[in-house]
Amino acid sequence: MTDALVQDPRPLLAVLVSLVASGFIVASYRSPNIREAWTLLAAVVKFAVVASMLPRVLDGTVFEWTILELVSGVPFVLRADALGMLFAVLASGLWIITSLYSIGYMRGNDETNQTRYFAAFAVSLSATMGIAFAGNLVTIFVFYELLSIATYPLVAHDETDEARSAGRKYLAYTLFGGGVLVLAGTVLVYWLTGTVSFTAGGINELAAADPGLAMLAFFLLAVGFGVKAGIMPLHQWLPEAMVAPTPVSGLLHAVAVVKSGAFGVSRVVLDVFGPELVFDLSLPFGFSAGLVLSTIGAITLTAASFIALRKDHLKQRLAYSTVSQLSYIILGLGLFGWYGLVGALLHIPAHAFMKLTLFFCAGNIHVSTHTDYISEMAGIGKRMPLTMGAFTVASLGMAGIPLVAGFVSKYYMLLGGIHMGAELTPVAYYLVGALLLSGVLNIAYFWPVIYTAFFEAEDDHDAKPLVDFRVGGESHSTVGASEHHAGGDVAAAGRHAGGDVTTAGRHAGGDVTPDGGREADESDTESADTPTDETGVVRPDFSPADRDFSEPAARVDTGEYAVDQSPSDADVPFGVKRREAVEDTTHDERSSDHDGDEAGGESHGTDEGHDGDHHGGPPAGGWRHIQGVDVFRGHESSWFTLGPILTAMSLAVLLGVIPYELGFLELIELVVDTRLPAEVMRP
Amino acid sequence: MSEILLPLAVAVPIVAATLPIVAGRRFDAIGWPVAALTTAAVVAMAGTVARVVYGTGPFDHELGGYAPPIGIELVADEFSAAVFLLVALVSAATLVFTRVVGPRRNTFYSAYLLLTGGLVGVSLTGDLFNLFVFLEIVGLTTYALIAADRSGASAYASLKYLVVGTVGASLYLTGVGYVFLATGTLNMADVSTQLSAVGYTDPLVQTGYALIAVGFALKMALFPVHTWQPDAYQRAPDAVTTVVAALVSTVSAYALLRVSYSVFTVDFLAANDAITTGILVVSGVSILAGSALAAMQSDLKRMFAYSSVAQFGLIAATVGIATETALLGGIVHLVGHGLLKFGLFLGIGVLAAGYGVQHVADLASLARDAPLASGALAVLALALVGIPPSIGFLGKWYVALGAVDAGGTTGGIGGIAIAVVVFVSTLFTLAYVARVLERLYFAGVDRSIPVVHEIGAVPDGGEGPRPVEERRSRVPVAPLVVLVVTAIAAVGLGFAGAGFESLLDPFLTEVFA
Repeated sequence: MTDALVQDPRPLLAVLVSLVASGFIVASYRSPNIREAWTLLAAVVKFAVVASMLPRVLDGTVFEWTILELVSGVPFVLRADALGMLFAVLASGLWIITSLYSIGYMRGNDETNQTRYFAAFAVSLSATMGIAFAGNLVTIFVFYELLSIATYPLVAHDETDEARSAGRKYLAYTLFGGGVLVLAGTVLVYWLTGTVSFTAGGINELAAADPGLAMLAFFLLAVGFGVKAGIMPLHQWLPEAMVAPTPVSGLLHAVAVVKSGAFGVSRVVLDVFGPELVFDLSLPFGFSAGLVLSTIGAITLTAASFIALRKDHLKQRLAYSTVSQLSYIILGLGLFGWYGLVGALLHIPAHAFMKLTLFFCAGNIHVSTHTDYISEMAGIGKRMPLTMGAFTVASLGMAGIPLVAGFVSKYYMLLGGIHMGAELTPVAYYLVGALLLSGVLNIAYFWPVIYTAFFEAEDDHDAKPLVDFRVGGESHSTVGASEHHAGGDVAAAGRHAGGDVTTAGRHAGGDVTPDGGREADESDTESADTPTDETGVVRPDFSPADRDFSEPAARVDTGEYAVDQSPSDADVPFGVKRREAVEDTTHDERSSDHDGDEAGGESHGTDEGHDGDHHGGPPAGGWRHIQGVDVFRGHESSWFTLGPILTAMSLAVLLGVIPYELGFLELIELVVDTRLPAEVMRP
Repeated sequence: MSEILLPLAVAVPIVAATLPIVAGRRFDAIGWPVAALTTAAVVAMAGTVARVVYGTGPFDHELGGYAPPIGIELVADEFSAAVFLLVALVSAATLVFTRVVGPRRNTFYSAYLLLTGGLVGVSLTGDLFNLFVFLEIVGLTTYALIAADRSGASAYASLKYLVVGTVGASLYLTGVGYVFLATGTLNMADVSTQLSAVGYTDPLVQTGYALIAVGFALKMALFPVHTWQPDAYQRAPDAVTTVVAALVSTVSAYALLRVSYSVFTVDFLAANDAITTGILVVSGVSILAGSALAAMQSDLKRMFAYSSVAQFGLIAATVGIATETALLGGIVHLVGHGLLKFGLFLGIGVLAAGYGVQHVADLASLARDAPLASGALAVLALALVGIPPSIGFLGKWYVALGAVDAGGTTGGIGGIAIAVVVFVSTLFTLAYVARVLERLYFAGVDRSIPVVHEIGAVPDGGEGPRPVEERRSRVPVAPLVVLVVTAIAAVGLGFAGAGFESLLDPFLTEVFA
């Protein structure tokens, strides 16, 4: 294994491809299809550039390209080594999948500002490549900040108050908090050693430097990168950032942004300090820097899993699951030993595939049925079998069930923990315990979702989230959500007006008022009230009896108006259809289940992005049952969304079954082998 | 041969200032064409001078043939050539804006040309008293220009500036008097040689410098003597703010750097710890206070006025740090900040002309209607924050680097403190810039509905949908072009770090020899 350093512009090319593409994306704002083509082209080219470097990197070559010299000895340099390639291959490959999903999601949800979205996405991926290939702390810091800035438009995409507030919080945590800490750590490292370059196995001078300052530098850097990785208590930005569109939550907040935080921590542990020094920097009570890092990871892991149990909003639950799973990586990085490091690094792609699948499923459910809350998802497995099937597979992987990727990484980490416990310090056993506990908790918060989707009926299911109701369950019904709110029942309307944007107000671990019960009564009476004549046509009831005239009259919607069925184009100036701003900002009181559209979840007419409320839950008469061969025809949604879901799920399964052949495990073993001292090599 | 350009560059605008008034008796709107021609000529002269200076080296010109140290000389070296170029370009470019929005009276353009002449004079002069004269010319014309829209508010602001500015100029003159007493000469080069004989710790010399420095602080609007600046910038007509913000305080800062480094020299600064510490403290406070105050503003022009307080604090800090890198940073930031402030106020002015924008809240979702202007404004604002690559980043980087170097080598915490202060101010700047950008791009307001006062006004009930207005940008075209070019230049110059270093190297080595 030669360690040849080769000057090659391909790392820079990988960074620039999507940056250039973002310009073209903005320029083609009038033609959505061409604009999307630019995104896909950029994603494919980027992946090709990165993949072309893979074979030689596996052989031990390192590609380097210096952009400019900032100060003497501190160049702005991109270096494609094994660790960088791991992240780069992951992010660029998943961008292709996410772009396809984005197309389906944005068009299906009729989102505004799509050009800004796709352009910001491209720039974010550019920054992610920069982080992956950064050759020293200064470079990774600059790209780290650029990533925060580039993803801000995506978080604040909806332009609502919640979105702006989430965006501000996101910037405050990552740009100011994380960035400042990383910069301080970088300056300290430079001051101590005179270099900030990533050196496999750690910068030598750090071992000789003052241990107190070295420890300070370690924690500054680790916590600075950890902010993005969602370690507690600096994780708060992550659940709030779920207000972003789902592809953003998926790729960025489960793959690129948070993984860049974890990747940064791995760079710090492996290439700045080195695993040996991290273990040796000792603190009182037998702790060492690495062990403290792992403990923080373990605490975050467990706490986030418990919080996830209480979340009714699916994306919130997934957000806390992300916080928890990322701490697996942090935990593994602090374990000194071959297995622990391999497990931690392997969890980067493993979790990425699984979490991406989960988020894509959640987004697909949102687009197709406007359902965001688990308590409304009873029986949704009938309506979206492929989606929920993929969800099931991915959740099993999260819990660490064999044959899916999560098992392999967890297995390695458990081995690493036990090794460390047996040979070095018994504290590691507690870490192992945390991992095992977390596996159980993963099942505890994913299983209800799967169970309620496939094995429960809309009119008789356990109230969710399970932990908020009494032991033994409480039977609720969510059927019949066609809204003929005569006079407007404020509470019920408010419940449905939550949409998927507001999370804090509604289900932030608070008491869930037993809406289900009241709603059951209401919906029963209302479905009885829906006035239809003999032929089944809905005839409005114009009798003024007990109608509240302070409210506008209820709209009767049969779901067959042409304007609702024809697809509206993206919000493009001078485009095909200019959105009338004043048109309909009142409640869209149609049936929540847009089953009227057949083989496309793409035409949702007048919904104004996320501003209107979403009537989640099954329509009157329960979910439409897709069965038989129709399941594989993708009738539940569109192939734009289903394809990526199934691809991500398959990758998760493949990584669980053939991790070597996929290349990831080989890369990781190369990474770890070159960074551990000889006596701790692979057993 | 090119020597003659120096006095010409000063004299031409001043003489041409009479033309709008004289010819105005015959023609109505003769002011703008005269001003445009004159500033174009000044730009050409500045370009030629710069080419000569950076090609072959500095040169000077003796006014009236009288040899210094008795006579007055005009000097073009690497530093003054850069400032001269900035002055020329900005004065010319602002005229594109005044053509569209600005005051149109002939007297206004007379004052404008006088201002240009004064600014060029400050940047080129090599004599201390001559510097005072040109500073006064600049000051008087600025007072007049600020009140150019003849409103009560701007008259008040102008009066405030007049009082403070005159005090500042008087203090400067007193300081020059002390220096004259100590050395017997007024020529800058001569004074620097004489001062080494007199001794740098002589109380007369120290007092002279202190008075000069305070005078400049008043003119540069450092905290806490900055109070004239927000009012002056806010209440002046938009085009006037553009040229004043970019140039007037800039040349005062240039004069401070020139006097500190070329007249009093680095040895003086090294010998007087109290003075440099005092400068560092004042600049540090200025940086922090300016940024904090800017973050609290809701009026756009006031916000960027306070931002200037912070940025000039940064430039003044380079005097306190007194290393080569810091001075390089000071020069780069001087020029860069002038360019950025020109662009920012031009951008705000352009949006005000098109959409009546005055406060941050007025910018709601303006990016949809005026994408180019908003984009250029965003780029310039981010350059002001110091996001690489941009000229703002370059200046801050060199200053911070110089500060850290100084702190490290001499063991003083002053340098480290300034570096920390720079960083904190960057965060503050980011805070108010982010607010502006958020309002521009993410406010979620539909501007096709007439917005009365608040954001998101409820549409007229029961009237049905409004016909959609064509979202054509109402931003005036020519200033928009200038704005975009400025934004591109701000980013492009961010890559020119090596270029700046090599161009300014002769000057730096001479100062630090």
